[in-house]
Amino acid sequence: MSAAVSADSILREMTDLWVTLGAPGKAETGMGVLRACSMTLIVVTEEGEDPVVLGETIAALMPVHPARAIILRLEGGPGRQLAAKVVAQCWMPFGQRRQICAEQIEITASETLWEDAVSTAAAIAAPDLPIIVWWRSQRADFGVLGGLATKVVVDSARGRDGKRALEQLAEAMKGGVRLADLAWTRLTLWRQMLAQVFENRHLLEQLPSISKVTVAFGGERPPASAWYMGAWLANALADASSRVSLEMKPDASGVVGQLMRVELEGASLRTELSRRDGRLVIAVGTLTQCTSLPTANDYQAMHEELGIVRQDAVFERALTTAVRG
Amino acid sequence: MSAGNPFEDPLRFERRVPECALVIFGANGDLTKRKLLPALYRLAYDRRLSAGFAVVGISRTPLSDEQFRAKMQEAVRRFSEDTEFAPDVWETFARSLFYVAGDVADLGLYRGLGQKLTEIEQTRQTGGNVLFYLSTQPSQYAPVAQGLGSAALGQNRGWRRLVVEKPFGHDLASARTLSEQLHTVFSESQVYRIDHYLGKETVQNILAFRFGNGIFEPLWNRRYVNHVQITAAESIGVEGRGSYYQEAGALADMIQNHLLQVMATIAMEPSASFRADSVRDEKSKLLRSIRPIKPDEVRENAVAGQYGPSRVGGADVAGFRQEPGVDPQSETNSYAAVTFFVDNWRWAGVPFYLRSGKRLPKRVTEIAIQFNAAPLAIFDGDTDSSGPNLLILRIQPEEGISLRFLSKRPGTGMTLRPVSMDFNYGSSFGERSPSAYETLLLDALIGDATLYTRQDMVEASWAAVEPIQNVWRETGHAFPNYAAGTWGPAESDAMLVRRGHRWRKP
Repeated sequence: MSAAVSADSILREMTDLWVTLGAPGKAETGMGVLRACSMTLIVVTEEGEDPVVLGETIAALMPVHPARAIILRLEGGPGRQLAAKVVAQCWMPFGQRRQICAEQIEITASETLWEDAVSTAAAIAAPDLPIIVWWRSQRADFGVLGGLATKVVVDSARGRDGKRALEQLAEAMKGGVRLADLAWTRLTLWRQMLAQVFENRHLLEQLPSISKVTVAFGGERPPASAWYMGAWLANALADASSRVSLEMKPDASGVVGQLMRVELEGASLRTELSRRDGRLVIAVGTLTQCTSLPTANDYQAMHEELGIVRQDAVFERALTTAVRG
Repeated sequence: MSAGNPFEDPLRFERRVPECALVIFGANGDLTKRKLLPALYRLAYDRRLSAGFAVVGISRTPLSDEQFRAKMQEAVRRFSEDTEFAPDVWETFARSLFYVAGDVADLGLYRGLGQKLTEIEQTRQTGGNVLFYLSTQPSQYAPVAQGLGSAALGQNRGWRRLVVEKPFGHDLASARTLSEQLHTVFSESQVYRIDHYLGKETVQNILAFRFGNGIFEPLWNRRYVNHVQITAAESIGVEGRGSYYQEAGALADMIQNHLLQVMATIAMEPSASFRADSVRDEKSKLLRSIRPIKPDEVRENAVAGQYGPSRVGGADVAGFRQEPGVDPQSETNSYAAVTFFVDNWRWAGVPFYLRSGKRLPKRVTEIAIQFNAAPLAIFDGDTDSSGPNLLILRIQPEEGISLRFLSKRPGTGMTLRPVSMDFNYGSSFGERSPSAYETLLLDALIGDATLYTRQDMVEASWAAVEPIQNVWRETGHAFPNYAAGTWGPAESDAMLVRRGHRWRKP
């Protein structure tokens, strides 16, 4: 731990780290290391979160999205605490002889010095590369980081009230923050399979006949993912000139907080996507297809989000509709 | 992807295969087992195939659908390099595999295939869309196309496409004849000539590098580029393909297609868009701008080589003529190096050196662009300072880009030394790259011909190498002229030295 925490001291530590790692014979193979960085990933977390689990997720993300990772941890308690640590995340690509490394900076701060920690993180972001903020804190205000970030990634599935979480996000989006939500990201596979159904020209032609959409979820209150799914379907079907009624329906046998089933019904067409024992079952009329539905954990969802640094118009439209509806 | 699908989300959804049938002629062959089925399985694993997608394998061996599926399962398990075998994915995928046995010379085969396709269209709603893939001997391309034509399978209410593997003829005349034969059934827009080199991520990255960045294109011309070297070296020999290879040789097998296509990608003018015809028009123009080598210039500008026996890495290595299936008096070139010039304003006078060979010291494919030296050498007294700027585009095995430039050596004196700035494709983008066949199959199934070779491009490539072929055919060679495990014949080095250049040792 460094006693004095400043952007300069952290940057100096990073330079020293690379000199050490690059010195002949220091790396495992003796070939030095290759430094990789395609973005800055700022992870905002709090004391209650297990640092080991989070660390493992970040370590798994680095080989696919090498980044200067800055973990900003808010630690409670009185006093003025601010500490920083610089480490390297290294991995050996399969079949290669040189390690690849990315930097990881962990800054821990108490509430009193939180703003100092944030400004330090902002100062040490890798220049000229996208800055992605992964917001895992319960704090609602993104503060300086909201304006600095190319994208702020949240997870509204972590809150109890899905609708309320989306309303807060919509407010932030209105304020100019570019957002992503892992609750939306986890729907990609569902959405993709549904889109694939309607790549069939014959089925696509029947789309305007759809009159009813049902979104079923586990638990009593719709989770954010159900609101997103309903909104996305409503938007897409409106584009296809379908006038539909949307029903949000609890599924007593479903897992709380999970999307369980989506049904599209019309005069000549019935399509259903449903979750069954780790599988996604797609039924179109009498044809049924079964595909794996891997659990979209934080790693998988972040992997997808870190691959997108552009504005996501489909998501933004779904968020707007979900809040309105 | 359907244009009017309101559920599409191009930002997140991967490109996917629409409902269609893929008919593979030569379904028992090596290419099907090693490349095509593993690539299709990977597409299934990645959920890129639609529910109605179907594969129809065709070969002479009588097999039931179940037996064919079992064979393909074995192939997928054995040859899928970086994809786990998931039984549930395989089970769904296997249900889309069908088999029709028959001889390609028998018209009854095509009637049977027609019935099978009708059946598949009805049960799997493929809309009559079919991609025919010729994974057969080249001599069967024309008979298969004509057989498909005789059963009216070349046209239908859905789309019909034909994928042809190289070689596209063995010289200009035979390439034209082949195209004419294919065109009796399929129009040129339906024909997809596959060059798996163009499906490699890093070859595609050349286009991204050149036309996605603003800083390189101004330097990309005769004013700044001194010369270009394109190397495709293999450390292995003919590996059981002796009888095929001795009919082709490095010039026809590698330079005529792969390396000239890479050269076209490096040297083409910017296209107006990334649409297939736009990109291929520019490549074609470039290939047609290659200065034809006159017969009396061949000796100066082209070198043929053949490896002799040697000892490599402590093991005895056979010479080409000692390889199984190879004529002991074979005059086939296992190495070829050619100097091409492009007669256009951008490249006039800039030599493009292309070389390819077997049994070279290592497997490497790269493009080296050497820039002109600084106009005035103000730092003297250090021999290292004469190193020219080099831009290296590495295609395999470690894909990436390096820029060599001079830097001051630490110390009180002003001495310079070359340093390298490296970009490693694998480390900056840790995601798995699709195999060339995954990319190209997906493209053909979607109808994107950007990475496929058009007839005029094939003819222009043959026109560039044919004069060399003709001279080499008429003159004898003092083969073998390089030892296995070395960088080729001395004449190849001399070819560059005459212009004041030397081959890089990648």
